[in-house]
Amino acid sequence: MNIKKITTRFKKKIKKIITRDKISTILFLIIPIVFVIIFIYICIIWNIVVSLSDWEGLRPSYNFKDFGQYIKLFTNKIFLTSLWNNIVLILIFVPGSLAMGLFLAILLDQKVRRENVFKLIYLFPFTLSFVVTGFLWRWMYNIRVGVLNTLLESIGLGFLSNKWVQDVDFAMFWVCVVLIWQYSGYMMLIFLAGIRSIPESHIMAAAVDGASSFQTYYRVIIPQLKAPIFTGFVILVVFALKAFDLIFILTGGGPGYATEILPITMYKEVFNKKHFAYGSAIATVLFLLIMIIVIPYLYSTYGGKKNERN
Amino acid sequence: MEPKKQTIIIVLVAVLVTAGIAVGVTYVLVAPPPEGATDELEIYHWWTSGGEAAAVGALVDVFKDLYPTTIVKQRAISGGSGITMIPIITALILAGEAPDAFQMHAGYEGIEYFKADLLDDINDIWTDNNLETVIPDVVQSMCQFDGDYYMVPVNIHRSNVVWYNLKELEALTPAIDPKTLTNWTAFFDACIAFEAENPGKDAISLGQAWTQAHLFEQILAGEGIAVYEDWINGDIISGTDPDLLAALTILETFMTYTNDDFNTITWNDATDLLIQNNSIFNVMGDWANGEFLLANSVYDDDYGTIAVPGTGDMYGLVVDAFQHPAGVAHPKNSDRWLEVVASKEGQDAFNPLKGSISARTDSNLALYGPYHEWTIDDFNSVAYMFPSVVHGSGAPQSFSSELSSVINAFCTGGATKAETAIAIAALASENAADFTTVWSLD
Repeated sequence: MNIKKITTRFKKKIKKIITRDKISTILFLIIPIVFVIIFIYICIIWNIVVSLSDWEGLRPSYNFKDFGQYIKLFTNKIFLTSLWNNIVLILIFVPGSLAMGLFLAILLDQKVRRENVFKLIYLFPFTLSFVVTGFLWRWMYNIRVGVLNTLLESIGLGFLSNKWVQDVDFAMFWVCVVLIWQYSGYMMLIFLAGIRSIPESHIMAAAVDGASSFQTYYRVIIPQLKAPIFTGFVILVVFALKAFDLIFILTGGGPGYATEILPITMYKEVFNKKHFAYGSAIATVLFLLIMIIVIPYLYSTYGGKKNERN
Repeated sequence: MEPKKQTIIIVLVAVLVTAGIAVGVTYVLVAPPPEGATDELEIYHWWTSGGEAAAVGALVDVFKDLYPTTIVKQRAISGGSGITMIPIITALILAGEAPDAFQMHAGYEGIEYFKADLLDDINDIWTDNNLETVIPDVVQSMCQFDGDYYMVPVNIHRSNVVWYNLKELEALTPAIDPKTLTNWTAFFDACIAFEAENPGKDAISLGQAWTQAHLFEQILAGEGIAVYEDWINGDIISGTDPDLLAALTILETFMTYTNDDFNTITWNDATDLLIQNNSIFNVMGDWANGEFLLANSVYDDDYGTIAVPGTGDMYGLVVDAFQHPAGVAHPKNSDRWLEVVASKEGQDAFNPLKGSISARTDSNLALYGPYHEWTIDDFNSVAYMFPSVVHGSGAPQSFSSELSSVINAFCTGGATKAETAIAIAALASENAADFTTVWSLD
């Protein structure tokens, strides 16, 4: 009797939880969730398993080895070089894109006519695929027949023509120029949206107080752009860590190791040398580096809001 | 019907239809083709440019003459050294969809397939066709893993060739006889003489990263066959090895006479610089001969060849090969194809068009031009042959694929001589486990 009571209660509760509305929601969600689990989370775990295995060569092998691949990473000169190159890339590319994006956003904020046309022009590089950009700039930078050197020589500035990405000492800088060219339009959009969301009253108040336009930007507008700057920063760093296609086509990581970054080293280890375990270890390090950037971002965006509500 | 019920039914129908399509597609992909229905031969290769495509066409014609009922499916995938084709082949083989044969470089390039049991041995083809009597020893060992044959060679290109501009050398005062350039001192003296008389020009034309590694390999061979043998056996593991440093010193001097934009131009652009009289020397494999023929240059009149200084009694081997992958759809046709590839008729049809020479010592010399007469003469008389590292044969991929970056860093000024020597030695010691072949070159 008692048991029967409990079961009917339980059934009622279940019925309450699973209303018809919820059933269709679950049905809709279950397929994408299964795909996300298989193709993202299981793959990440699989990658970590491979990095601890003895998989070398074409046949998968999952015998647990040890953390040897990770120890090898931090004693290997090529890995350390590409890690350093990755850091240099972040140090030049991220502030460069943020500054350029902010500059373009401020220019567009001057109530220019045909604002949308300019927006389109600035955003255009971002719509190109990285492969296209890579080939395009390889031609721009070509020493003999490249656009830049030809242009410089034709306007009498031949002394400025140089080896661009083929110059070992400055190759990474010129790669960053391309990346900034591609990304600053996108950053501009983020900043422009940020600027437009600042209440007009703040700017008017500054004007009443006699602030110059520079002071308005420096003291009123930019300090209120923390959120877009943070968003842009995270997007750019994550991209810089996993940038592969553009650099692979533009320089192939060369000259020498001058522009070789972690994803390129990973690619070479796995696909050229069939060192699957070692390549997976590099991938895991990359994953951890990206998590270092992304987790604080997710926490501040979602965790923070929750706290506010409470 | 109430809307909620309708939604559920729609979702259920959608799920069922999707599942049905997925099952259907999987069945079509996985189901075995009807057995014995076709008499086909499917081969993959990366010979897509004019002369190359004609050469493989001629080889296929020899096969068709012998087996007229077999349908030959050629899958040509462009991209030098199989850069695009190899990943496709690897995926096909691992998926159990191996073609009946595919092009690869003899030697280490096939070892990953061998280690994964993806190749069948073809000892019977070698014995039935008496190939050991007509193919040189080093080439034989390039076709073996663990003492069994897994490949047949289709051609041989020579790697250690210096191409020179004869007209420019003769125009110097005093004129330089290229046949005297048998050591690096004489070679560099000629560079100095040319640059002194032709201000603004560079004596040597050089191309992008792999051509620099190709050059380094020839210089190292010039240090002696024993040095080269140690190197490809993974035995040079000291960054202060005197032979390694000596080779890098020569490369360092070499670089002072090259074009500034070497790192951005292709190997054939570099050869073209020589053809256009902008340089006098170019070190490149003998596929470069095709560029001279295209430009209507005449051998021994406009241009000529010598062995790379120090390698006069050596023949650097770049060998393309075919094999019998495990579990192919048409095993008999695969074997027949390999027999045609290895036959005198097949090789004599293929090589004169390809610009390489036959891997057999009994080829018909009358079919070849003047450059090839010179090199076939050497092929039959040199004391030593050595397998190329840069072209996939001599050393494991873990070594050869990284070598290109290491040498490129040195040539572009990104690394010093000492650093480069240490890096090359480290490549051998770090990948010691991959050096499974023991070469015997002398």
